[in-house]
Amino acid sequence: MGKFMKSGKVVLVLHGRYAGRKAIIIKNHDDGTQDKPYGHCLVAGIDRYPRKVTRKMGKKKIKDRSKMKAFMKVMNYNHLMPTRYSVDINFEKSVVNKDAFRDPALKNKARRDIKGKFEERYKTGKNKWFFQKLRF
Amino acid sequence: MVVQKKSKKAAENINARLALVMKSGKYFLGYKQTLKTLRQGKAKLVIIANNTPPLRKSEIEYYAMLAKTGVHHYNGNNIELGTACGKYFRVCTLSITDPGDSDIIRSMPSGDPTQQAS
Repeated sequence: MGKFMKSGKVVLVLHGRYAGRKAIIIKNHDDGTQDKPYGHCLVAGIDRYPRKVTRKMGKKKIKDRSKMKAFMKVMNYNHLMPTRYSVDINFEKSVVNKDAFRDPALKNKARRDIKGKFEERYKTGKNKWFFQKLRF
Repeated sequence: MVVQKKSKKAAENINARLALVMKSGKYFLGYKQTLKTLRQGKAKLVIIANNTPPLRKSEIEYYAMLAKTGVHHYNGNNIELGTACGKYFRVCTLSITDPGDSDIIRSMPSGDPTQQAS
C-alpha cells in the first residue's frame, strides 16, 4: 500500500537497447505528463559495466578496468522492473533532467556527470550489486 | 479431517467476500492493471489464481512485497476465479483497491509481506 517507484530506486531495464541493464530512477512522473500520458521516469543507468578487478593487477590496469559507460533515458514504468535496492546519489538537477534530450551537447554533458558520479561511487565500494552485471 | 473442513469453508468465505467486493467496492482485473495499481500504491489486496505461470506469480509477489500489499493465493484456477468475480471470462490476477462493505482485507491477508523478510 505504498508507492515504491521513487528516486533512488534501482530498476532493471526490460525493453529497448538497454535491456538487462540496471538503472537508478532520478525523477518519476507517476501520473504522466501532457505529452506522455502514462507513468514514466527519468533513469540513469550503466551501459557498459566496469570489468572485474583482482588484487594482482597494477594501479593503471585497475583504473582502466573500472571505467564504465552511462546512459540516461526516459522510460515507461511498464518497461522497468523495480528491485528492493536503492542507491543514494545526488545528481545535479540542473544538468541531469528531461530537458537534456533536446540538445545532444546537453545530453553528453549529463551523461558525463552521471558517469563521473557512478565511477566515484564504484571506487568507494558501496552499492556493489548495482555495479555488477546482471547474469541471465 | 479438521483441515479439510476448514479449507472448504475458507473457499466459500473468500468467494462470498469477493462477491461483496464486486458489488460494493473497487477492483481491477487483469495482470497489467494489477501491476499499475501496485505501482501507484492503490492496491489493498492482490489475488492470484493457482494456475498463473510461476514467473508471473513471483513477479506479482515481488511487486506486492515492495508495495507492502497482501497477496492471496486463490484456491482455484483462473476460470474459477473469473466465475467467483461474476465474470464470464478468466481472471488470473486481480487487485482490490477499495473493499467497500467487505471485510476481505481485514480477514484475508495470509501472507503479510512486511512481517516476512525485511
